[in-house]
Amino acid sequence: MKPFDIVIVGGGGAGLYAAMEAMKTNPALNIAVLSKVYPNRSHTSAAQGGANAALANKAKDDTVEMHIFDTIKGSDYLADQDAVEVLCSEAPKIIRELENIGTPWSRMEDNTIAQRPFGGAGRPRCCYCADKTGHTILQTLYEQCLRKGVLFFNEYFALNLSVHGSRSRGLIAMNMKSGKVEAFPAKTVIFATGGYAKMYWNRSSNAAGNTGDGQAIAYRAGIPMKDMEFVQFHPTGLRKSGLLVTEGARGEGGYLINKDGERFMARYAKEKMELGPRDLVSRSIETEILEGRGFDSPAGKYIHLDLRHLGADLIKSRLPQIREMSLNFEGVDPIEEPIPIRPTAHYSMGGIDTDNFGRTVMDGVYAAGECACVSVHGANRLGGNSLLDILVFGRIAGHTAAEEAGKFEPGSISEEELRESVDDIRSRMQPSGHYERYGALREELGQTLALNVGIFRESSLLHKGIHDIGELKDRFKKVRVFDSSDVFNTNLQQVLELQNMLDLAETVAVGALAREESRGSHTRIDFPVRDDEKWHKHTLATLVDGKATPGEKPVTMGRYELQERTY
Amino acid sequence: MTEIIDQHQEGKRDVTFRVFRFNPQVDSKPYFDDYTISAERGITVLRSLNYIKEHVDATLSFRAFCQAGICGSCGMRVNGISKLACTSQVWDELDKCREPGIIRVEPLRSLPMIKDLIVDMDPLVDKMTRYSNWVDSTMPLDEMGKKEFLISEEEFQQYDKATDCILCASCVSECSILRANKEYVSPAVLLKSYRMNVDSRDGIHDLRLAELVKDHGVWDCTHCYRCQESCVKSIPIMEAIHAIREDALEKRGPRDTSGAKHAEAFMEDIEKKGKLVEATLPIRTNGVVWTLRNLLPMAMKMIVKRRTPPPPPLVKSAKGIKIFRAMFREMTEHVKQDHLKSHKK
Repeated sequence: MKPFDIVIVGGGGAGLYAAMEAMKTNPALNIAVLSKVYPNRSHTSAAQGGANAALANKAKDDTVEMHIFDTIKGSDYLADQDAVEVLCSEAPKIIRELENIGTPWSRMEDNTIAQRPFGGAGRPRCCYCADKTGHTILQTLYEQCLRKGVLFFNEYFALNLSVHGSRSRGLIAMNMKSGKVEAFPAKTVIFATGGYAKMYWNRSSNAAGNTGDGQAIAYRAGIPMKDMEFVQFHPTGLRKSGLLVTEGARGEGGYLINKDGERFMARYAKEKMELGPRDLVSRSIETEILEGRGFDSPAGKYIHLDLRHLGADLIKSRLPQIREMSLNFEGVDPIEEPIPIRPTAHYSMGGIDTDNFGRTVMDGVYAAGECACVSVHGANRLGGNSLLDILVFGRIAGHTAAEEAGKFEPGSISEEELRESVDDIRSRMQPSGHYERYGALREELGQTLALNVGIFRESSLLHKGIHDIGELKDRFKKVRVFDSSDVFNTNLQQVLELQNMLDLAETVAVGALAREESRGSHTRIDFPVRDDEKWHKHTLATLVDGKATPGEKPVTMGRYELQERTY
Repeated sequence: MTEIIDQHQEGKRDVTFRVFRFNPQVDSKPYFDDYTISAERGITVLRSLNYIKEHVDATLSFRAFCQAGICGSCGMRVNGISKLACTSQVWDELDKCREPGIIRVEPLRSLPMIKDLIVDMDPLVDKMTRYSNWVDSTMPLDEMGKKEFLISEEEFQQYDKATDCILCASCVSECSILRANKEYVSPAVLLKSYRMNVDSRDGIHDLRLAELVKDHGVWDCTHCYRCQESCVKSIPIMEAIHAIREDALEKRGPRDTSGAKHAEAFMEDIEKKGKLVEATLPIRTNGVVWTLRNLLPMAMKMIVKRRTPPPPPLVKSAKGIKIFRAMFREMTEHVKQDHLKSHKK
């Protein structure tokens, strides 16, 4: 195949914006977008809330400066302040640009883009399209990429970077339709593969494919991961699937009830009760379950979100989506019965370590979106900043790669390298020595992560988690791919995704053990307070001799001094 | 068979999934496999398929991604109806089985088969490209990102429902025209075309419309409403198709294409007589030459079988035609308003 100037891995918001911007920067470039799904299926579509931008359409006194401060404070001061400045000052421009190319934003009375309040934001600056913001943004970007004739390789599963010395020569990927392993020699590669929170499996709100493929590939190529221990938990996920029940349910007056029939939030937040901040409510629910006051079921322990007292009329008129979800995914009608819920892993703040231009430490390799860690979210992401992150830094990464592609030699990938990948795949299909089932391992990985590297963390638990992950990695070598066909081998794909999750899980656990403090989403029972003196810094995890090796990096400060984070 | 042990208050039901299987590498033709599992209340069809894949047969192949009804990956036919597996409850489906306790699961129709429940989505993407399913912005390039278009709530309402589409292709699978003609534009693409055409930011309305009125385009729809009935997001797709047709008649005139002429002839007859003058309908739609060339053999057969429609002078006005005409005119007035309203939430 002719060498590409840019190969973009991932077709969600970050990947598609990168493609558009790269084409705009230099139309002569030969660009490809690889996606393991059709791009319009990407997980960007699941983001409901919106994207923050200080347009000042709703609150006339809103400023970029205020957005910057809210983001830094929300990050528990772990975000890099120069990166946050880029994020927030680019925000109005990028939201307008999306508007200009067709995103159907909801509107205010004066016909400008509508904005609404969101958690942790001092002004209503979250731009939205009803409850389908991510979906409509993704559709718009995909439509525009089709318009511009972006070259898509849909349903290609990325396997590895081809690395020679200090730089990449391109990507090796499997065409799902044919099963063929193909070479994508390229001057530059941009990873935009989304987050890794699905490693918590049934305890995650993420799509089945959010398995951190890009991060795992970069990690195996020696590129460091940053702040991997920071995983955001949402308090109310459905018991069976981990899918989100939005905050609206509690906003309208829903109760959280344990098996003794208590509204237990009285113990943790006497005044705010169910409407306390996300992390506090998550920790409270988890405490009830850990102390034996949860309900039991084959799908695990849970508590009740009770809406019955609100009455059928209110539930039907104000919470129709929540009702539909509990009917569709739990078979429970909240008018008649309480909804079974428990906290669910929702977002990964950590990712591939990049600078403000999307560059990684490896020449010609870039990353953007939830896949990357710039870092703009630090220890805790604010609602409405994740869509913004993928748009702003997707565009920047596309621009940077387009500008810098000329600096690098065109890569070439040898037949031998391809054969190695094929041999690796084929060997997993051999019956001898391969008897483990990926489904069981995946389940166990999710369980040990939720128990030992979950909402509450503690030295001995984390050691247990790291030990379990190590054991699972050993057992993974014996996992058998039962489907030996070439055409659309989803069995093989799921096994390879599990490998990616296992590699990354170790970095999450190692990072969580190293960080001896509590900050943002990371709560250590044995180190309950934020320790700025020792831990106001990023953690790094690099693969050295097959082990996650911890490192660190300073936080870039700016105008804002460290303060206690109170709301 | 299943280790899901029920400690919960809710029961379990045994259910057999009769699943369409086809692997082009080894199978000369498709067949069905039966998988019987025990499903508790609240389990979806997708979760059952996942369970089967993990515990019973790892070779069973299907697409799934978000599992929450927003990505559109898991479109398939369950008990004969195209829908999302992830939002379909097994217990609900058990009430709809033709054979008790057996849920049939098949791939979507009208798209090329790849393997088992997986079909090729490329033809749909190609059509989105052919019919310019994007906003071609009137904002000059150097002004991009600097200011907003001002869009009224009323305009937003026109495409609000249409932008719910997740391209799951359930409508594509249910469409009766596509089953006969794979080149037909397809309901999803018509819906998207409508959405683009009512967007004031777009600058290529006329070009898109010109493509839509060509062969295999908007005039080929037969109003069977199956797309709308099967839409997993309850989008009034037929209203969008009607709107494109009305737009075409208005902008391009009633003599533009055979489709438009056909509609015009219908309207004319109905207004005049309250019923169709079938004998001349083909001529008024496609012209004399076309009709002689294409319909003469059929006309001969009809004569032999004495099934010819009555000649125009013998078609008498329907009873109560005067009242009917008044109603007809009133309805025509309201049509435009109606389709606007139906696209509001």
